[in-house]
This record gives sequence, C-alpha cells and structure tokens, in this order.
Amino acid sequence: MENELIEPDENEGKTLPWDQFSEWLHCIAVVTFDLELGQAMEFVYPKHIELSDTERTNICYLAFPDSNSGCMGDTQYCFRIRRSKLAKSHKPEVDRIQNKNCPVMLLKDKTHFYGYVYFRQVRDKTLKRGYFQKSVVLLSSLPYFNFFKDIVDIIAPEYFDNREPCLEAVCHDIDQWPCPIPGKTLSLPLMGMVLQVRIPTKQDKPGTTFLDNIDKKTSLASLTLSSINEVDLFESFQQILPHLHLIWELILLGEPLVVMATSPTLCASTVLAFISSISPLRYQCDYRPYFTIHDSEFKEYTTKIQDPPHVLLGVTNPFFAKTFQNWPHVVRLSGVGLPNYGGSNPSLLNSDVKLKKVTKLKALDQKAGVFTKYKTFLKKDKMFLKNFTKGLVSKQSSRVQSNQLKRHFLELTQSFVIPLERYMASLMPLQKNISALRAPPSIRPFRPEEFLQMVESNGPQLTSGTKGDWTGLYRQFLRSPNFQHWHIQRRLEMEAKVMSLHLVALSEMDLRSWCGSKSEVEVVDVVLRLKQKVSLVNEHKIEVSEKTLEKLNSQLTTIKETLPPDLQTILSKD
Amino acid sequence: MAGSVSSSRVMQVHKDRVIARFPEAYTKDARIDLKFDFDPRVRQACANDKVNAVGLKICKMIVIGDVSVGKTSLVNRFCKKAFDADYKATIGVDFEVERFEVLNSPFTLQMWDTAGQERFQCIASAYYRGANIVTIVFDVSDINSLTNATKWLEAARKENAGAEGLLVFLVGTKKDLIAPGAYRDVEKEAIKLAQAMSAEYWAVSSKTGECVKEFFFRVAALAFEGSILREMERRQFSRGAQIGDGNAIKLKNEPSPRYKNTKVSCCKT
Repeated sequence: MENELIEPDENEGKTLPWDQFSEWLHCIAVVTFDLELGQAMEFVYPKHIELSDTERTNICYLAFPDSNSGCMGDTQYCFRIRRSKLAKSHKPEVDRIQNKNCPVMLLKDKTHFYGYVYFRQVRDKTLKRGYFQKSVVLLSSLPYFNFFKDIVDIIAPEYFDNREPCLEAVCHDIDQWPCPIPGKTLSLPLMGMVLQVRIPTKQDKPGTTFLDNIDKKTSLASLTLSSINEVDLFESFQQILPHLHLIWELILLGEPLVVMATSPTLCASTVLAFISSISPLRYQCDYRPYFTIHDSEFKEYTTKIQDPPHVLLGVTNPFFAKTFQNWPHVVRLSGVGLPNYGGSNPSLLNSDVKLKKVTKLKALDQKAGVFTKYKTFLKKDKMFLKNFTKGLVSKQSSRVQSNQLKRHFLELTQSFVIPLERYMASLMPLQKNISALRAPPSIRPFRPEEFLQMVESNGPQLTSGTKGDWTGLYRQFLRSPNFQHWHIQRRLEMEAKVMSLHLVALSEMDLRSWCGSKSEVEVVDVVLRLKQKVSLVNEHKIEVSEKTLEKLNSQLTTIKETLPPDLQTILSKD
Repeated sequence: MAGSVSSSRVMQVHKDRVIARFPEAYTKDARIDLKFDFDPRVRQACANDKVNAVGLKICKMIVIGDVSVGKTSLVNRFCKKAFDADYKATIGVDFEVERFEVLNSPFTLQMWDTAGQERFQCIASAYYRGANIVTIVFDVSDINSLTNATKWLEAARKENAGAEGLLVFLVGTKKDLIAPGAYRDVEKEAIKLAQAMSAEYWAVSSKTGECVKEFFFRVAALAFEGSILREMERRQFSRGAQIGDGNAIKLKNEPSPRYKNTKVSCCKT
C-alpha cells in the first residue's frame, strides 16, 4: 500500500499546458470553402494561438489546390510561408541541444511556417456547392516533411469523420510528446497508437538506419516511422533524369528556379527533393514547395523590374507559364505517364534528350522538360548514369533507385564541400599562437582567390569521377546565399573553437606566479575577465569540458586570494 | 503531464515495479486466471532468458468508464503516487507508460486514460483499437456507472473484434466513500456483472491507495504472461518464419483499417 502522497504539481515540472505542443506544432487549422467568402479558416486549434491576417490569408489560399477540379479525393502536400513574427523560444535548453546536434536541414526555422496539408474533395449532394471541400493544415516551424505528412495522414481522415473533438484530443496527445531531441528514439502517443521516431543527428553516418531493428514486433497500437524528412528522390526526378546534374548545380548556386506541375503534391515533393539534393548543405534561398498567385509574396517574386529573385517555387496554376516566361530556369513536369527510360533503348545518355529552349515554354505545352540556357560547369557522371540506367531497365524498385540517387548526390555534394572545409580549416590560427594572456587570435578571412588557387592545384577534379570546370562552379558558388550561410556558420563554429582553446590555455597557465609581478589593477582586470569567461561557459556560449571549467574556477579563487581582503569582498559580489 | 511521460521513459525499471511473485486476484469469485502461479512454460522461458528472443513485450491498456468515476485518479495514483481531490475533466486521452520487470524480464504497459465525456465518444474508436487490456472503471457509490459497464465493454470489444486474449477488468473506485455494508451490496452486483462479462473484479481507493498497486501488478503479470504464451504459440505455428512479420502497419500502401468509417455506438449515461 502506498500511503505517502505527493502533491500533483510536484511531478509536473515546469511544463505549462501547450508547452510540449509548441515544440512540435504551432497550431492545426481547418480551411473550408465558404460560398460567400471563398476559402476561409473554419477554426484554429489550440484556440489561443494567434495568426496575423497575412498568415491567415496565405494559409487559406495555400490549403487548397490551385486548379481544384483535378484533385478529387484526398490530396497531400506541403507549403512554406513567411512568419509575421519571429518564433518564440519556449525552451532555450532544447533549442541549444537541437542547434548543436541537429543536421542543418532539420533545424527549427524561426522565420517560416511549414504547412502540412491534407485536402479532401468529394461529391456531396447535400451541400449547396455540390462538393465537400476541406483541408486540415498542420502548421509548424519544423521542416520534418515526411514526419508531418504521416501525422496529418493519420489525423485528417479521422477529423473529417468526427470533427472538433478529434482535433482537441489530437492536440492533447501532442501536448504529451517529449521534445524533439536529436538522436533519441521518441515514443509519441497519437490517436491510440504510439509512433516511434528518431530525429537524426549531425553525427549520423549517411545510409545507416536506426529504427528498423527496434521493436519489429509492432502491433496495431504502435508504428515505426523510418525517416522524418527523407523525400522520395526517384519519384521527383524520374521525369527529368537526364538533367539531374544540372538541377543539382542550379540548387547549389541558388539560381531562380520554378517547378511547374499539374498537382500541388508533385510540385511540392519535387521542390523538397531538389533542395535535399545538396544535403548536407542547407538550401538558404527562399523556397516554396507550393506557391499561388494569391501569395503575399507574389508581386515581389514575379516582378519584371528586377532580375528574378533567388528562389525556388513550385506552382500548378497554368497562369504562371506566362508569368515566368522570362525566368532563366523552369522545370515542367507532366501529370501521369512517364517517359520510357526503361525501354529497350534507355535514353539517359542519348543526345536526343536535350534541354528545351526557353522560347518554347508556352502555356499550352504540357510536355515535361527543363527549360534553360544554363550550361553546366560539371560534366555528367556517365558511370553513374550508366549504372542507374541498368537499374531502370531491370525495373529495380523505386526505393532502391531513390537510395542510389541519394547516395550519388551525397557523394557529389561531399566532393564539392571537402575543399571548402579544408580551406576553412587552414584559416584557423595555430595552436601555438593561442596564448592565455593575449586576446584570442582571429581567424584569417576567406580569400576567394586563394581558395580558387588551392582548388586549381588540388581540387575534386583529381579525385571525383565527375569531370568539368570545378573552379568555375566554386567561383559562382562563392557569390551565392548558400555559400554565405555556410561560411557564417563555419566561422561561428571556429570562433567558438578558438575561444574554447583559449580558455583551456588560460586554465592551464600558472596564474599565481604571473600575478606576483603585476600591479593590483592588472590582477583585478584578469579576475573580471575570468569571471566573464566563466559566465559565458555557464550560459553555454562557450563549450569547454567539465574539467576545464573546474580549473578555471580554481584559477579564479587562486588569484583572488592574492588580492587584499577588502578587494576580495568587492569582487565576490555580483 | 508531458514531463512525466518523458521522464518515465528514460528511467530504468524502478524497484517498485518489479514483479517476482504471481499477484493474486482480488476475489476468487470473479477472476480471469484460476492459477496461483505463472504458467510453467512462461517461468521456464524467463528463466532461460528466452523472452528477449521472443521480443520486447508491450501491451496497450485502455481505461474507460462513465464521466468522473475516477479513471484518471486511478492511473495517477499508480503512476505518480498522487491524488488530487479536485476534479479535472480529461481532454481526449491522457497517455502514460509504466515499465515493469516481470520474472526478470522487461515489460511495458501503455495506458490510455480516456475521457468519459460524451463529446469525445465519437473519437473513442481510434483510441480503443489494438488494445490488449480493457479496464472498465465504475464508482462504487454510483450504481448507474456500474450498469453502464456493459455498454463500455461493448464499444471496446467492437474495436477489437477478433483480437486474441483481450483481458477485461471491472474496477470499482472510491471505496473510501462508501460504508462497508453498502459496499457489500454493490460488490455482489459487480461480481455478478463481472462474471457475465468474463472480467476480473477489483475494488480500490485512489485516495487511500488501497489495492491500487496490487491491481496494476495483476494487470501487468497477466498481460505479460498472455503475450509470451501467444508468441510461443505463434512461433510453433510458423517455425522459421520471421517474427512479427507483416504485423507492422504501413502508412503508404494499404488503405489501412484505421480509416474505416466506423462510428462507435455512444454510451449514453
């Protein structure tokens, strides 16, 4: 028998209602078709969640396929919109762990919302419009494309049957989820099931699976999701296989690119596949898996006064064919029916698969193809294409094909990134120049010409199977937002590293004897500086080992003791 | 609440959750299992550490019953050692995980504490699916809540038709609120009903803690034993076949039975 009673609150920790929910989702919105208003937000749950008018309007338009008629039944896709207000951080500690361990592609996006849409359109004679049209939209800061697609696939059909109580219960389930910490197997209760997921970490080796072997013996009550973000590359690339190296370059360089497709599902998944082709680099330009003419950025992105912006847009409205007539690069995908690459005469390498001339892009032209004048820097990897074609001929499963594509892109991106990493590393100050008593040395600036010279003499052209003008590609890349972001990220990491090395040096030097020869003012100065460093460590602004921190604290005590007692008292106050 | 979910997951099995002896039933008149010890085959398998080969044992329990009979209090008493006298209606469903060690083998009990409110009955079917254990809770001081137990069981069975070895418990709560004489009358009725439902009868007080731990231990032991025995049978049937093959739900290919348009018959109170 248990007689000791604990007050209920004591066990609850500091978690407030909706705190856990907010770690995963901003809200769930239901968008319906109102005969008078058009697309309108029926309701938002949790009820206290605020959305700006712009956000509301954008969500309403993006929640329905553009050209409705084509999408009977259930349709799933995702969109991305600007946030009106920066995301608030509820749990700084969780954010810190995520920033440290999460692959960059999966980091919380503080400036955008991702909308995961489940749209249903069915004939319903009881309704005035003749059709039931409604969407359930999960709104989140997390780019977990696969994960939320699966989640909304579980929630939405249940909602269409049972309405508000369903979303209420679902939100309550999600509010009981643990935080999305990378590397842990998370058990997430949802609608009577427990979902097993694992958020990848930066350190994961590509190609390793973590969850497949856990808990194979699942039942109706449990479900393992193998990946939270991986999109099916083959599905998205199959119509434009001969051009996959071209696409990779366009994405890498952040060139303005439009994907025109017949359904939001296809354009959205293709946009996501494109940006994932340069993983582990993060695509830093704006991208919209699904974009409509009603979007608040429509004017900004289709302006004819300036050059096309560096964005990647997925569209379905035929009207865009005209709007984007002058865009440098357009990918057009047809609905169903794929080019027969797998026939007796596979054509991936044949010269007849040429790029279409930009001028040929007309609204009525429904043929799939890539419309661009762009000339790739690198040559196609013929070995890869040959092997890949063999797979097509022997009708390998699309999963195998997808994995091959993924591996190929990863190798290509890694070949590209390694020289950059190597050059960055060479900018670090030498260990022997890090002295405890001088300010931490600065990192040398990135000099494009110096880097390009290094590439000339020792670049990927020597090791990679892909030949071509690597230097030209780097030259272009150094001007792109993708490089700028990568460079800033790396610099920050290196600066943190220098700081931490500096602290190690400080913790290991003989401060006491140094103090002996110094004036009181100088010693006080060192005490203050040390205190500041320790507090930076405590705030996780600088990372050092426990041992270093201990040593720093004892250094602080040691040198304080060399000062007169009255000064010591003053310095001990905060 | 969420904090406790994550923390209980991280924790190793607490010494409070170790089951070494076969827990007894509450009353000999309405019990599921007539034995007084674990099945010898199960004991043998655990002793030989074959359980790990059989796989991780997880069971799903749903806690159902009329509004405010004390479902959440029962679960909280056991999982958090807490009792809150103030009533707070459950929204949708609360989820708790408890890890046990039965005969030195790990066992996980998932508890889905559902809302009794009418408003949430329409979504109940989703939460009932795949349950191994049904705990129907009633308030010993409210005879109506006992009468409704049959309807709750019907709803739960409907979602688990064809499931092997569904364990049903009928649990009377708030025993501290009723005089012993009055309780005896209720118990007579409840045992009769439990027998008719092939359920095991328990009476507890979440306020004092009376019989709460004993009840959950009994649930864990019977569920553990049942799942091991079922797995052994399955293995004898299909030697050489992969374990658990084809059991996992795939989201993509099949329009899975989760999306059936079934409406649950609502249990009106």
